[in-house]
Amino acid sequence: MTNWLIWNSHWHSEGWVLSSNVKCFGVNLHFFSCLFLVAERPAPEETVTSSFGRFIQSVQPRHLSPTVLQRSKRMVLDSIGVGLLGSTTDVFELALQHCQHMYAPDDVSFVYGRQGMKLSPTLAAFVNGVAAHSMDFDDTWHPATHPSGAVLPALLAISDMLHNNSKPSGLDFLTAFNVGIEIQGRLMRFSNEAQNIPKRFHPPSVVGTLGSAAACARLLSLDRSQCSNALAIAASLAGAPMANAATQSKPLHIGNASRLGLEAALLASRGLEASPLVLDAVPGVAGFSAFYEDYAPHPISSLEEDEHSFLIETQDIAFKRFPAHLGMHWIADATAVVHKTLVGLKGGSISPNLVQDILLRVPLSKYINRPFPETEHQARHSFQFNACTALLDGEVTVQSFQPEALLRPELHALLSRVRLEHPHDNTANFNIMYGEVEVTLVSGDVLRGRCDTFYGHWRNPLSQESLQKKFRSNAGAVLSNERVERLIEAVEGLDHLDDCKPVLAQLQ
Amino acid sequence: MPLGSFTESFGAAVSCLSTSHLTDEVIRRSKRMILDTLGVGLLGTSTPVFNTVLQCSQQALENSKVWGRPGLSLPPQYAAFVNGVAVHSMDFDDTWHPATHPSGAVLPAVLALAETLPVKPSGLELLLAFNVGIEVQGRLLRFSKEAHNIPKRFHPPAVVGVMGSAAATAKLLGLPAAQSIAALAIACSSAGAPMANAATQTKPLHMGNAARGGLEATRLALLSLEGNTQILDLESGFGAFYPDYVPHPLAEVTPTSHYRWVLEDQNIAQKRFPAHLGMHWVADAAIEARAKFLDKCPNADLSQIKKITLRVPTSRYVDCPLPVSEHQARHSFQFNCCTALLDGEVTIETFSKSHMNRSALKEMLLKVQLENPQDNHSSFEKMYCEIAVETTQGEMFTARCNTFYGHWRKPLSHEDLVRKFRANASTVLSAEVVEGIIYTVDHLDTNQDCSMLWSYMHFNKHMMHRDECRSSQCNASLLNRSTFE
Repeated sequence: MTNWLIWNSHWHSEGWVLSSNVKCFGVNLHFFSCLFLVAERPAPEETVTSSFGRFIQSVQPRHLSPTVLQRSKRMVLDSIGVGLLGSTTDVFELALQHCQHMYAPDDVSFVYGRQGMKLSPTLAAFVNGVAAHSMDFDDTWHPATHPSGAVLPALLAISDMLHNNSKPSGLDFLTAFNVGIEIQGRLMRFSNEAQNIPKRFHPPSVVGTLGSAAACARLLSLDRSQCSNALAIAASLAGAPMANAATQSKPLHIGNASRLGLEAALLASRGLEASPLVLDAVPGVAGFSAFYEDYAPHPISSLEEDEHSFLIETQDIAFKRFPAHLGMHWIADATAVVHKTLVGLKGGSISPNLVQDILLRVPLSKYINRPFPETEHQARHSFQFNACTALLDGEVTVQSFQPEALLRPELHALLSRVRLEHPHDNTANFNIMYGEVEVTLVSGDVLRGRCDTFYGHWRNPLSQESLQKKFRSNAGAVLSNERVERLIEAVEGLDHLDDCKPVLAQLQ
Repeated sequence: MPLGSFTESFGAAVSCLSTSHLTDEVIRRSKRMILDTLGVGLLGTSTPVFNTVLQCSQQALENSKVWGRPGLSLPPQYAAFVNGVAVHSMDFDDTWHPATHPSGAVLPAVLALAETLPVKPSGLELLLAFNVGIEVQGRLLRFSKEAHNIPKRFHPPAVVGVMGSAAATAKLLGLPAAQSIAALAIACSSAGAPMANAATQTKPLHMGNAARGGLEATRLALLSLEGNTQILDLESGFGAFYPDYVPHPLAEVTPTSHYRWVLEDQNIAQKRFPAHLGMHWVADAAIEARAKFLDKCPNADLSQIKKITLRVPTSRYVDCPLPVSEHQARHSFQFNCCTALLDGEVTIETFSKSHMNRSALKEMLLKVQLENPQDNHSSFEKMYCEIAVETTQGEMFTARCNTFYGHWRKPLSHEDLVRKFRANASTVLSAEVVEGIIYTVDHLDTNQDCSMLWSYMHFNKHMMHRDECRSSQCNASLLNRSTFE
């Protein structure tokens, strides 16, 4: 204990950087001696990416040499000729009809939170999908993805599109929804890599697109071969890299999954064909396997032969209590325990001066390790930020990510005292990870908190009351109380509705 | 399990699952999911990112012309989409090294965007934007060794093409460097389509989506959407598409410096017939072998051929012994070989149903055997094709093609390129319009106003303008052909 204290005061007075995980973004220079700052993030001019941006912006016509001019004019000519010829093909005709119908001046599908506004079905699916993931507040499953946001917007958009007399029944809607979820779950079980927190492709952009395609194909009652084609077409629209997570572009992954899955189903319904082997593992030609290092597909057993069991039956889903990456929930719950103890000890609000050191034991995952997040998107993906917020406030909420909250000096004071550890037994996997926090006070006391299963996780699901409370708080931000209650009622009774108009009506 | 059955089983399940399969627990859990998602979505409508995409999605005031469809316009990204599909619909567009089809991803996007600008770009500015789009693709392809070979995992236009489209459209709009980076980052989240859809009807959509995705990305960047500013540096960024990713920065560009374009050092291949590039080696070799055969035996009956051996690189998706669709035929060593042997050429007509169904052709297909010699690399820079035709008499005629006519090492002459253009364009345009385009492109770098270019593309000698059609008497076949309301 004594050694621990000495070591920590040494650290604070000298301002050493403890581990290579901790990067200094230069925000709190008064806590660190400049001399000891290791600038691990290169200046923008030095990155490959910025060199591209610079090139695009600064190159001028005078840089085009005669050879380049000549060659590129040949390319332009050839390309135009080929395009004109190509305008006589079936596939062109198909794509054209699709666009004309989808992007016609008469828009038909509702937009969340914009009463009276309509867009074309695919674009409505897009923007509503973006809304669903905009704050990282939507559901998470195991293996990891956000399944509902990719599926629901597309289904709602189609429902709006269908004639008043042929809206789907509540059960039909639910079936299509579950098909979309089920397909995603099945696909993720084709790869061991998919079991862990992703590193390469963002799962909603991979399985979400195919899930949306499947759900839409189901709602549109496509035949088998059209359903297969919808999945295959969707595969060509799947895949976004993880690097855009924790940026403003991440929500587009869900928006695009929803939209593009819908497009795939619509194209398939017009007869567009794609690879019949897209889900199979064909050596030398990658299909869906392109997105995984290890890929071992299994068929879905025929519905005539066996009892079909939906995956959601045996593997429930997690609903978030606050809008941040799922990993944050463990650490928030663990830290909330410490906060409560601290309030009990000291009374009143927490002052950073009480705290000497905060140690977090979390799984190793680069994109959620951010010591000093600068934007709300980064903050939603920061163990450190969520721990400190929970320590200060006892909880993390929607408001915790607003600009004023991000800039609080007390928060920054605490952030600079956080260290991370990655124990071997804390795997980057939402089914087995845990969060542990150890807060060392200036007085010498060490307070501990641990969370194995946060409230809202599939092992400890939100009660119906808690879920509805979350809904009221969210929906109430843009809808009247009356509409909010009607929506709760309509969804609760969805399986008994003859058609889903009651749901749609509240959202128009 | 037989091949194709996993996919089929999914199709069957999706189609056959019905309400009767839903259990109570499933219903309960899924209703909870629906409720939660709706609430989260409603809350999310107050965010800046939502407002950005909404602005981007609302009907644009300006529309762009669809090629070959007089009177028909679409919002620019969808014009770019359909026109991009057109360019790649027959696999007739250009090919580069490392392998991709660069122009089809860039040109439709650049033209669609140019059309909507209040101040139209000059021809030179158009060429500049076009070349930026090509250059970025070339540079990105050089970040991976895997990219130098015939692809196996992701279809290159879907990977680098969308990035090229983003760069080109960003250039055309004169975006500052930071926004160009945002455009690239946003585009990256739309990149990637698997190879399995090559040789199917969906392949052309890879090109259309690349053009569209890049243009959308630029529009979103213009509305201040941001992505990862280090998107090209990270393994988890653009690097996600390659197992071996080593990026390099682009050289600095100053107003007075000389810039070395990839296109300068590495020319492009333009196809003589609409099929996968690999088919061109096969066709040239087969035509030569055929000539030798007919030279020796002028009245020879080609059914005297007993066996045909093709020595080609290993590439699963162009090894198709008995193609059924036109898309498969364009990706079949065997089919192109037999056509060249039978007809002495491969043309646009080759891939029509009537040509594909000829019994002489089908019989010959059964006689083809592929070999994959070790020294025949799956790379458009290094591959060759060797053919050995064995007759029933026991005679052997062989030929080898290292570089087909149209390859970057042996580019089409200007006359032949223009001839190809005339043949293609005149299926849709009248002679005057065809010559008009040839002239305009030839003078692109000196022309201040190039808006004639997209106007010319908007004609169709078989169709009347939709407005004319409404008021005059049109015959039924015209109305069926076009897609008027």
